Amino acid sequence: MRFRMLASALALAAAMAWAPGAPAVAQEPSTITGGFDVGPGGFQGNFNPLAATGGFTWLSLYFEPLVINDDKLESIVGDLASSYEVSADKLQYTFKLADAKWHDGQPFTSADVKFTIDTAKNGATGTVFAARLGAIASVETPDAKTAVLKLSAPNAGLLATLTQLMMLPQHALKDIPSDTLAKHEWWSKSPIGTGPYKFSRYVTDQYVELAANPDYRGGKPVTDRIINRYFANTAAAVAALRSGEIAFSYVEADDVATFQGNDGFKVIEGNSYVVNYLGFNQEVPLWKDVRVRQAVMHAINRDAIVQSLYKGAAEIANCGYVADHLLPSGLDAYAYDPEKAKQLLAEAGWDQINGSKPIPLLTYYNTPLASNVLAAVQAMLGQVGINVVPRAVDTPTYNATIYAQNPDWSQFPLVYAGLQNGPDPSAINIGLNEKQIPPAGANFLRIRMPEVTGAFDAALNETDDSKRAERYQAVCKAMNANLPWATMWVAKRYGVASAKLKDFVWIPAPAGGPFAAHPEKWALGN
Amino acid sequence: MLNFCLRRLAVGIGMLIALSLLIFILLRLAPGDPIDAYINPNVAMSQEEMAAVRARLGLDQPLPVQYLAWLGGALRGDLGFSLQRNGETVLGLVAQRIGPTLLLMGTGLAIAIVVGIGAGIIGAVRRNSATDLGLSVAAFLGISSPAFLTALVGLYVFSVLLRWAPSGGMLTPGAPFSLGDLASHLILPALLLSIGHAALIMRYMRASLLEVLNQDYVRSARAKGVKEFWVVVKHALRNALLPVVTLIGSTIGIAVGGAIFLESVFNWPGMGLLLVNAVETRDYPVIMGATLVVGACVILANLLTDIAYAAIDPRIQVA
Amino acid sequence: MAIAETSRSRGGNGPLARAFRRFAANGAALAGIAILVPMLVLIVCYPLILGHKPNDIDLLALNKGPSVAHWLGTDGVGRDILARVLQGGRISLLVAVVSVAISVVIGFLVGSISAMAGRFTDAAIMRFVDLAMTLPPVISLLVLASITGAGIVPTIIVISLLSWPVLARMVRARLMELRERDFVVASRGMGAGLGHLLWRHGLPNSIDILVVYATLQIAAAILLEAGLSFLGLGVPPPEASWGNMLNAARSTVVLEQYPWQWLFPGAALVITVLAINFVGDGLRDAFDPRSELN
Repeated sequence: MRFRMLASALALAAAMAWAPGAPAVAQEPSTITGGFDVGPGGFQGNFNPLAATGGFTWLSLYFEPLVINDDKLESIVGDLASSYEVSADKLQYTFKLADAKWHDGQPFTSADVKFTIDTAKNGATGTVFAARLGAIASVETPDAKTAVLKLSAPNAGLLATLTQLMMLPQHALKDIPSDTLAKHEWWSKSPIGTGPYKFSRYVTDQYVELAANPDYRGGKPVTDRIINRYFANTAAAVAALRSGEIAFSYVEADDVATFQGNDGFKVIEGNSYVVNYLGFNQEVPLWKDVRVRQAVMHAINRDAIVQSLYKGAAEIANCGYVADHLLPSGLDAYAYDPEKAKQLLAEAGWDQINGSKPIPLLTYYNTPLASNVLAAVQAMLGQVGINVVPRAVDTPTYNATIYAQNPDWSQFPLVYAGLQNGPDPSAINIGLNEKQIPPAGANFLRIRMPEVTGAFDAALNETDDSKRAERYQAVCKAMNANLPWATMWVAKRYGVASAKLKDFVWIPAPAGGPFAAHPEKWALGN
Repeated sequence: MLNFCLRRLAVGIGMLIALSLLIFILLRLAPGDPIDAYINPNVAMSQEEMAAVRARLGLDQPLPVQYLAWLGGALRGDLGFSLQRNGETVLGLVAQRIGPTLLLMGTGLAIAIVVGIGAGIIGAVRRNSATDLGLSVAAFLGISSPAFLTALVGLYVFSVLLRWAPSGGMLTPGAPFSLGDLASHLILPALLLSIGHAALIMRYMRASLLEVLNQDYVRSARAKGVKEFWVVVKHALRNALLPVVTLIGSTIGIAVGGAIFLESVFNWPGMGLLLVNAVETRDYPVIMGATLVVGACVILANLLTDIAYAAIDPRIQVA
Repeated sequence: MAIAETSRSRGGNGPLARAFRRFAANGAALAGIAILVPMLVLIVCYPLILGHKPNDIDLLALNKGPSVAHWLGTDGVGRDILARVLQGGRISLLVAVVSVAISVVIGFLVGSISAMAGRFTDAAIMRFVDLAMTLPPVISLLVLASITGAGIVPTIIVISLLSWPVLARMVRARLMELRERDFVVASRGMGAGLGHLLWRHGLPNSIDILVVYATLQIAAAILLEAGLSFLGLGVPPPEASWGNMLNAARSTVVLEQYPWQWLFPGAALVITVLAINFVGDGLRDAFDPRSELN
């Protein structure tokens, strides 16, 4: 008898606990959940914009920069700066600030701009902007709504850098000592920005929740909450997308097929702005002869790889750029010609240089697509007598190998890597210019080609906007002739959004952009 | 008994220190440090900037200095801060993650124990019948299947296809906490986890029970006319459970480490996933601190198992 | 005389012969052998029957299902799945057998030295074994593997380093029991060195533990290698191993639309491990004289 009562009591309790949250609340807040930090443009777990090398899509939901890329990455438009002016000598940038308020009600003023730039230049704070903002000599604040940046030398990339510099509140951060700022808990517990959403909470390693900012200067956001779910890998995000748990995520090119033709989803395609290449380590004797490098280009059937493995969603690159206005005429297309490759290798005496000894091909790309590509590359190079052995390692191992104080060149005679090549074409300078050899820059292949270096220097120092395209065409020509890299392609990147999302803007921008996505307009329909 | 416990605890602390030293050395042998993990290779950066960060984190100090600094802190109970997160203490992180791991492992083990012991008893009692054969094959399959494959297939079938269970995480983000929500996230990984353990427990239980059922005192009980059911349950079972208890005890000990494949596939926020993430980003303080905690749990579990063993079987004397 | 005749006709009556007979009577063990032998033959001899090579890419035949040209279909770069499954069998078994051989040697040496040498050495070695056992397998796996990197040799090293402590304990327990027996005491009295004790007395008396352990550990090592490859460590592509072929199943597209890419290596893995477990279990029962009572 007692047992039966106990059993029914237990059953009742179980039923009550199991019942999916009986709606005691009258109106549930509208919520958009997505995997905003999935993929190469995201940066899970980073909340400090000064230390960010990615994840700007999410950060720009609650922080805002002075200027921002438009949603096609074609031009830079004002965000917190309602307008800006560059002086004729390119040494003075004047920003007129918009009428904005911080999430705690304080007004956004030029003092915040000065504070942000000074903090971003101060190496002690763990910022990654110090070098890029080095050209700024001083920041003046003639009045609360005007900020003037005075440069010591013209810097063509300054506006692009400023698109990633999120404005920070001086009144909230000025009392935090610089050396504790980088990993301070303010960033992940109570950050204050000016964006359309304000920080609600962060459940460690699981998700971040933002709530609408009703006082946003662009209008009250349509959706009450936005949640950014963290995923261990893209496959988990794709599974969540398919089961309807999230409304948006970046997806690998391989996974797009699952969503195409399905009315419940919209596939978004965009330029990755990352040029993939085989990097020749200049410190090993293997690649000294340009004929060997040319042979590598001729041996790989880039077209076949793009058509079959990328399903056509990549553009062949014959230098560091694929944008039409940066390509000169008369480029060598290095058509697929294994016979020519063998001939070039014979001329260069490949048998004496290396013969069939295995050459490690180091990469940090771990996706199935990348390992398929490398298998194809290995087979194609093997056909002409170059025996490469792909070796995929994780990011810390890769960085430690190429940036070691005294690198072991035999560990990375050849690498398969990618470098951001846009929207500002000067982005690849850091990997190719002789002046950028570590520790100054990221030219870890120790490329010392006077033609290439000269072309880059000319392009960076060009003050006449109309001539700039010409200068970069010269860079392209130099790269195509000297082959510091065996440039492969620029692939497309994809995101998939639920068909229920209205007015949703997203592009696969490098590092996440940021770009003008107008999140205050995003709505989740039925 | 007290002497024994105190001695084991003292030895245990010594082992923990040795363990931490071993892990420290292994970690520094692995290529790449936290800063290397931070740099995105597609967006190149200069090394000069990174050198300043290294100095700030104390990573440029000589290794013995770094280890002793950590050890000093650990002895005071301060395991340091996570290098990749903002202001989160290692102790806080571990405390946050141990709960979910114990919940997952506990539920999985509980299911495994119930199913395993039950199936083992049935298999032993109905020896060589069709049921026994079927259970044995199922058990062997359970032991022989790779954990991650069953996890992936299970996730796909039950979550993506049938939508019976959510595809990962512990709770629905943004929703208010409810036991039902937790249970719906827990059930699939716990069931998948229990497969391997249930199989092992079943085999041990069956073998042990068979051996006991052949003993003289069982034959006497039968001869006395005791019903078969009570022969098994009252006389044989208690003695047959001993090796199974040892198995369960050693499983609990390593349980704290978390089931890394399951946690990785289901994004379950437990210790296993914490460690995998920490190794990926070379987050030294988290790795050291978490290893210490897991090691301490293993030592404690071993001690408790030995005591329980002595308590159950009076013939065993702990020296 | 009648008894002697009976013994001879039954092939001898020593413990080894009896063990063999017990093994032969075990249905599951025989089934295991029946599965393993043809599989091993196939794995070793497949180049003689199969035209496709495991690393030959064919960009025109990507992700094709089973057909006459490719009996088990092709993978993401057009490589033949059957060839890769068989090659993967070679690699996975090679890794498993070599790593188990290494850990058996280490485990036996550590356990037997600990049992046969003095009390102090024993205590010191056992503390070291306890330390190795306390090392959480998760961490050791990940850290060791990131030190050694991915590859066949590093994987072998990682797996063997994880498996020897349990064997050392078992060998020590068996030999401790043996140490006080007359023949060992006599041997020592006659001046036998440690090497002689281990080789002539220790090894023959622990061989049954070693054989059973080795067999079951091979099965475990195959699963461990698969797990390591799943985590991105272990044997890296383009080399085929059952573990890294299963890694493809992470992507929902492969799981759903190209099931032959993971079902076949998965089935091969499970069946092989199952068969090895049957055989190992059969060996354990065969060597245990009391199992006939059951």
